[in-house]
Amino acid sequence: MKHNIFNVLIINRWFVFGIILAVLLVIVFTAGAWFSRYDPYNASFSPLSPPSARHWLGVNDGGMDIFSELMYAVRNTVLFGVLSAAAALALGIFAGLTAAWKGGLTGNILMRLSEVIMSVPPVMIMIIVASFMRPSAVTLAFTLSLVSWPTTAKAIRSQALALRERMHVRAARDMGGTSSYIIVRHLLPELFPLYLIGFIAKLRMAVFMEASLAFLGLFDPARKSIGSMIRYALQYYYLDVWLNWLIPPVVCFSLIIMSITFLAISLEEVFDPRLKEI
Amino acid sequence: MKMEGKELRIKTFLSHNTRRIMTYLIAAFLLILLGYYLPRVLPGDYVTAMYSQSQAIITEEEEAWLKAEYADKESFCEYIIALVTLDWGYSLVFSEPVSDLIFSALPWTLFLLGSAHLLAMIIGFIAGVEAAWRRGPLEKLSVGLMTFLEGAPEIATGILLLFIFALVLGWFPAAGGETAYAGYGMFRWGLDVLYHTILPFITLFFAYLPGNFLLARGSMIVILKSPFLKTAYAKGLPSLRVRYGHGARNALLPVVTRFGLRFSFMLTGALVVETIFSYPGLGTLLFKSIALRDLPLIQAIVLFSSLLVLTVNIALEICYRFLDPRVRNET
Amino acid sequence: MVEIENYSAVYQDGNHSLLALDRVTFSLNEGYITVLIGESGSGKTTMANAIMGLLPKNTVTEGSIRLNGDELTHLDDDSYRKLRWRTMAMVFQNSAAVLNPVQRIVNQVAEPLIYHLGIKKEEALQITEKKLAHMSISSDEMFRYPHELSGGQIQRTLFAMALILNPRVLILDEPTSAMDAALKAFMISLLKELKSKGTAILLITHDLDLAVKTADEAIMLYLGQIMEVLPARDLMQTLFHPCTVAMCRSFPTMDAVRDLGGMRGDAFYRYTHVHRLSDGKTEPHVHIAAGADREGGHAPILGCLFRPRCTQAVEECGRTSIQLTQAGTHKVRCVRGGIVDLLQLKQIKKAYGRITAVDNASVSLRAGEILTIVGETGSGKTTLAMIAAGAIEQDSGMRTFKDRTIDEWIKNERFSFASEVGIIYQNPAESVSHRFTVYDIVAEPLHIQNKSSGAAASKKRSGTQNEEERKKVLNALTDVHLPVEPDFLMRHPHELNMGAIQRLCIARALVHDPVLIVADEPTSALDPSVQAKVIKLLLNLQIEKGLTIIFVTHDIGVARKISDRICVMLAGRIVEIGPASKIINEPRHPYTELLIDSARGELIHFESPKSEQSVSPDGCPFANRCSRRVGKCLEMNPPCSNVQGQSHLFWCFNPVVLFSYDKKMRTDGEK
Repeated sequence: MKHNIFNVLIINRWFVFGIILAVLLVIVFTAGAWFSRYDPYNASFSPLSPPSARHWLGVNDGGMDIFSELMYAVRNTVLFGVLSAAAALALGIFAGLTAAWKGGLTGNILMRLSEVIMSVPPVMIMIIVASFMRPSAVTLAFTLSLVSWPTTAKAIRSQALALRERMHVRAARDMGGTSSYIIVRHLLPELFPLYLIGFIAKLRMAVFMEASLAFLGLFDPARKSIGSMIRYALQYYYLDVWLNWLIPPVVCFSLIIMSITFLAISLEEVFDPRLKEI
Repeated sequence: MKMEGKELRIKTFLSHNTRRIMTYLIAAFLLILLGYYLPRVLPGDYVTAMYSQSQAIITEEEEAWLKAEYADKESFCEYIIALVTLDWGYSLVFSEPVSDLIFSALPWTLFLLGSAHLLAMIIGFIAGVEAAWRRGPLEKLSVGLMTFLEGAPEIATGILLLFIFALVLGWFPAAGGETAYAGYGMFRWGLDVLYHTILPFITLFFAYLPGNFLLARGSMIVILKSPFLKTAYAKGLPSLRVRYGHGARNALLPVVTRFGLRFSFMLTGALVVETIFSYPGLGTLLFKSIALRDLPLIQAIVLFSSLLVLTVNIALEICYRFLDPRVRNET
Repeated sequence: MVEIENYSAVYQDGNHSLLALDRVTFSLNEGYITVLIGESGSGKTTMANAIMGLLPKNTVTEGSIRLNGDELTHLDDDSYRKLRWRTMAMVFQNSAAVLNPVQRIVNQVAEPLIYHLGIKKEEALQITEKKLAHMSISSDEMFRYPHELSGGQIQRTLFAMALILNPRVLILDEPTSAMDAALKAFMISLLKELKSKGTAILLITHDLDLAVKTADEAIMLYLGQIMEVLPARDLMQTLFHPCTVAMCRSFPTMDAVRDLGGMRGDAFYRYTHVHRLSDGKTEPHVHIAAGADREGGHAPILGCLFRPRCTQAVEECGRTSIQLTQAGTHKVRCVRGGIVDLLQLKQIKKAYGRITAVDNASVSLRAGEILTIVGETGSGKTTLAMIAAGAIEQDSGMRTFKDRTIDEWIKNERFSFASEVGIIYQNPAESVSHRFTVYDIVAEPLHIQNKSSGAAASKKRSGTQNEEERKKVLNALTDVHLPVEPDFLMRHPHELNMGAIQRLCIARALVHDPVLIVADEPTSALDPSVQAKVIKLLLNLQIEKGLTIIFVTHDIGVARKISDRICVMLAGRIVEIGPASKIINEPRHPYTELLIDSARGELIHFESPKSEQSVSPDGCPFANRCSRRVGKCLEMNPPCSNVQGQSHLFWCFNPVVLFSYDKKMRTDGEK
């Protein structure tokens, strides 16, 4: 199965594009972090100085090296996304499988809960939590996962319900396989594509959410993030800081989102057989 | 004979399962409950809870007044009554009633988001349907372009548009929703508003368009393979009738279903875009209130816009029931 | 009305293309129902789509489709669109999916009125209501959506939709799949009504029963080629092409009496692709490949497509391309002109002293069929069968086998003829030597031939010969589902049960790879459970190896289960012969009726003979027992008569009239 997935994916243009972009980004930012010579919190340089050999992207209004700041910001943003997406995926798989396997009241409550959560815009919850509680970034990442799991749970549940009726799963049950055996040996592996799709979709949303929340000023102002960089830089948009301060984080952010989006679109295209070209 | 059909429609509509609408109502109720309890679970009394981080300086007099106001809405029932009577409190930071602030920002947001969504929906849908119908190099190109656009975040497109068209070329204003204190007549004012709206509108339009396009194309491709479309074609109906009367009519369903979810996810970007262009809508108001830590205002905006989203979802649900007869008598 | 001439269609599918129709020629005429039959993938639906102009855009086509003389294949989209539904309409396979789920059915049915004739919507709805009412869809139901209708209502809606503009040409694509009996009856009457109105109808169906009941002409498609064109009433009865025979043998009708056969092998598709040959030329290749598996041989296909599955294929079948040729009322694409007569017996007479065993019997046997000779003890059935097998010589008459005279053949090449025929005897236990081992029993025919053909080799058989012989024996044993372990080969018959011994006998008969098997009461000594297995085995051998079988039995119940045709004998004479379903369901000769009634345990028509008048030797052998006897029965043997130009023959002056069994039951019930 896994072998097949890769074979199918590798011929999808957008998947290849997305993967190459993602790999390039990882390489650039790992190398970049290596090359950034300054502590991003070191505010001892002359503010708003233009790019130079020492400061490749110049210095910001607080006297910090923008290049080092950007490297940290990208890392923070992506880590936030990965953390939140992984947590949401785990929650989604757990809730989806429980709902599918248990059914009955538990399943009903889980699904109703997920529908209620899905109907509220996640950004609103995040704003309330961030502004009232002022939690750390990690807590916020987990909060986001708490509102973003339902879509995955629904997909997993419906797929698992379909799988449960398939002959080989029935056969395993008739052979006396326990629930845990069937879930571990049959359901979990067969749902693999859904994990990929779920993770990538959640990652996209989380990265986007992190940047937006930071842009709106809902994180600790000292925390480095692509969003907060854009926010501060945008305050000086009438100055000549565009090319070295504003554009770099914007481009980095676009590339990250694009790479994730391409992966998401290609995965959906490949795993939704109905969309396959004739 | 015709009446019977209509009666049937009404009957099935009334008797249909309203589970999804119930879900939205439950969500709305939970949100209101959250709005009621949030100030009460925070440490300290109302004023310390809500204004400890605020940039507003509160006099003794104001503090006493706030506390009295808060005590007024002690029970949940009173809170609800206050909500319904638009008594949402007073923003000390902006020195205006919260409801005034929200209702002066609301039309701008409704205009911007509404027009962007509506146009993106119509154009994206039609383009998607046509792309699926025609197939060919143009379709391939447009799918590529749309996929690329789908990958471009609103923050980036917004800033780039701002940079290119407002700063470098200077064709459009960089901020605001209208020219301040210009004193234009109705018509000039309308043009001025449109002129200011163009950049944020384009940003949002291109953020919403690809999703609609790709979804419409995808579902149309599926529909095109369905047997009933072959029937329609075999009946010798005109091509437009086949494409829209039979094909697009069905391809619309998943587009509508997914719209609600997409709408609430897309809200994040809309907040950012309004802020980038300092557009006088709810997003910018929220941005400002966050910057000034005006918690009562933040809470009110969040609650209000969440309820607005729920309303949109309920409206969509009702629309969907008319679009798809199959869900009407679903149990 | 519609003339299809040399029409070919090739589906493009990546690097390969699928040849769906291959130079098909036929026509649809006014008031005439043409039925297309064939397996799935034989191109039936492609043909329908081609006529409607609904083939995928990238399909490559050749040849012409003409409507009243106007060429349709070059028509532009818009003119074709105007033609569709107005002149030609189609009923799609019954499924709710062919209706738009979000539109009321009345609108979907009315649509052609509005868009083709420009009728106002209100008026169109009124016309539609009438049409739907004609199809018994009430005005209440017509405002429903497809998902609110039952399967039958959907089918009737589809009919109403197809007929809304009163098209001159109607195509029905598998209308009966998932159709219940009442709906089928409705459809048959509808088709008859349309036919009387002069509509040209193309019916595509798996349901041969429907085809026989409604159609005028049947066309058998196989891999996109027309294999046989025949009058529809001949379906299930008189078939020429082996492919049609196999198809019809597989279909369960109420009339079919024998067990279902099936077609050996698998369905194939024809893929062509173009690529460089070793000599540098490019040339389209045809692949014949099974199902989804597209790996196929590269050899360009010449000759008959059915060859790999045909039971009577000869080398010539693969050599030349074969044309559809006229054969009586049929047209057949077969080098051998359809199924050949394997054996012909003409006016055979045989007497043992003063007793006449066989009197003037003429039978012909077609390749691959099972003919059962039924009769009581002393009716001469075994004698006739043995004459056919070449075991007994007749007194007078002609017998030919594979177009050669048997008598000459036996005289010149005794063993060559013997290897064409395998005989299975009545009593298995007695027909094998109890001193022999299993191996020796089966190998016996081979030993016998080797001994006589090469005297030198007889003493010391060479290794290769030995090897070959062993292979043949093992194959024969495998064919009859007996074990081939060395241990079993060394067993002796007394260690085996009756069923195993009989199978051993069948294996012995098969060891030469014969064409004809003559089985003389092979199951009468067996338990019913074993008998059932042996009968199944014989049927299976017929389908897989294409064996022709003469089966002799006194039990018409067994005959019913196994035969393609039944021949009833009485006192050395054939009294009735014909397709098994006809003989069993509509017997004409009183004696046959007696046999069937007694087999059913109902002797309701048996009356004691009217008088003990002596019957002259020339009279009907059944005369003194017959309740329908007329005067001349005593004096002369009745001449041969047949039923409505069918291959159902009987010899009786006063035949049973339409005593089809269910009719008899019905009249009994009324009494």
